[in-house]
Amino acid sequence: MKILIILLQTAFFIGTAPILSGLITKVKNNIRMRKGPSVLQPYYNLAKLFSKGEVVSDTASWIFRATPFMVISSSLAAAMLIPILVPSGSMYHMGDFLALIFILTLGRFFLALSGLDTGSSFGGMGSSREMFISSLAEPAACLVIFSLYLQFGATNISAFGGAGRLSVASLVAGIALFLVTIAETSRIPVDNQETHLELTMTHEAMVLEYSGRSLAMLEMASYIKQMIWFFLVAQIMFPVAMPASGDIAQLAFRTLWYFARILIIAAAVALVEISLAKMRLFRVADFLGFAFVLSIVATVCAILGV
Amino acid sequence: MHVIMLFGVLLSSYLMVATKRISALIRTFRYQSLFLFMATFAVALKERQAELYAIAGLLLVIKVLAIPHFLYRIIKRIRPSEDLGLFINAQLSLACALSFTWLSWVFTSRLITPPGGTQGIMITVAFSVVLAGIFIMVSRMMALAQIIGLLVMENGLFLLASTVSGGMPFFVEIAIFFDVFVSVIIMGIFVYRINKLFTHIDVNKLSSLKG
Repeated sequence: MKILIILLQTAFFIGTAPILSGLITKVKNNIRMRKGPSVLQPYYNLAKLFSKGEVVSDTASWIFRATPFMVISSSLAAAMLIPILVPSGSMYHMGDFLALIFILTLGRFFLALSGLDTGSSFGGMGSSREMFISSLAEPAACLVIFSLYLQFGATNISAFGGAGRLSVASLVAGIALFLVTIAETSRIPVDNQETHLELTMTHEAMVLEYSGRSLAMLEMASYIKQMIWFFLVAQIMFPVAMPASGDIAQLAFRTLWYFARILIIAAAVALVEISLAKMRLFRVADFLGFAFVLSIVATVCAILGV
Repeated sequence: MHVIMLFGVLLSSYLMVATKRISALIRTFRYQSLFLFMATFAVALKERQAELYAIAGLLLVIKVLAIPHFLYRIIKRIRPSEDLGLFINAQLSLACALSFTWLSWVFTSRLITPPGGTQGIMITVAFSVVLAGIFIMVSRMMALAQIIGLLVMENGLFLLASTVSGGMPFFVEIAIFFDVFVSVIIMGIFVYRINKLFTHIDVNKLSSLKG
């Protein structure tokens, strides 16, 4: 029974993940007074890519072929760790927030390797940039976890939402994690998902050599990863205490709440994307440095107990 | 609510320390004053004193609207380069600002016997905002940054006064507001004259001779 719940829950999470990118694109286009593609466009793209053939470079080694599977399985494993609708029905006792970040980092490690593997100059550039950004984003994320641990006495993700009341430490930690999220999901001040202009890409540069089914898997993995990060920010910023009972009304309320708060985060990301220009690469250090300072402030607030 | 606004003041002072561009500095100063206004307004709502409402209104009019508007006008007039000219880079500046906060926390915990609670936090925030203002004045080359550093210090002192002594007398407060406003205007004109004489407002190069 429990296994079934976990599987259903994760399937729900994965199924709703691509719509988030479609929504953000839609919001951005509407603000720009354009019509924009349909909200379901990411699904169409995935379907198209899955039905296409694949071209692999002759010089590519097994790493290139293994990477899509590694990346998507790390994203799936991370998705299983978070309590989405039924808190008792996730594998949260198998790993906490820290484990989640390191599982996601495993996927990123293979992605960076595959960027180097084919020997194209763009791939290497993308890998080095990705490592640069992630080495700055990870300390901030870890400090956010420590501040949450000081507050709630646990690093489980289900524990963060349990307070029912937003403290100053949670607020500051949430803002810090939001900045990290922007960097991790390659959104605008750090990276641009919309273009393939060689000077600005980071994530797109690494997956440039992929096509067909492998590309579909990598895109799916990045949708899931984006959903995970948004969910974490939402869990910290909008805590609500919920009784553990699992009747239908509860489940409906949780589902509604899940969508509502993720949509708020997505709208915030869309507004940030529309109102800022992309930074120079070396300004990213300042951006994530500020996230780090915020997470230190959050830790201090948690120690002070405000 | 009040504490959240205080942290808004603190975080915007961090943002000001980290920023590299003059227009961003002025905009963040406006946000900081807005947070200060909201904090004062929250206190006024709680204590229901007419004087506090008046002070909050003055904050809104002078520090949120008038002074940033005036600074923007100076920028538009003299068109300096956007670059603030950092003696200390943004990362290190942030580290300095953090250490200032830590120092003021140490100082506050010596000053007040039970070092927790809202008052301790307020004094820590006030001191670190004052120190951040001094830091902006010292470590930026452009003369406009000196004005904004002074204003940030004044914001911190306002916070300090309202926590330590429960607010200054009403007339003193009004006098301070007008002093600040007038001093900003005078300094603005001063910067304008510097620009006219030297064709730049880089305080680092003021002592070199013009030939």
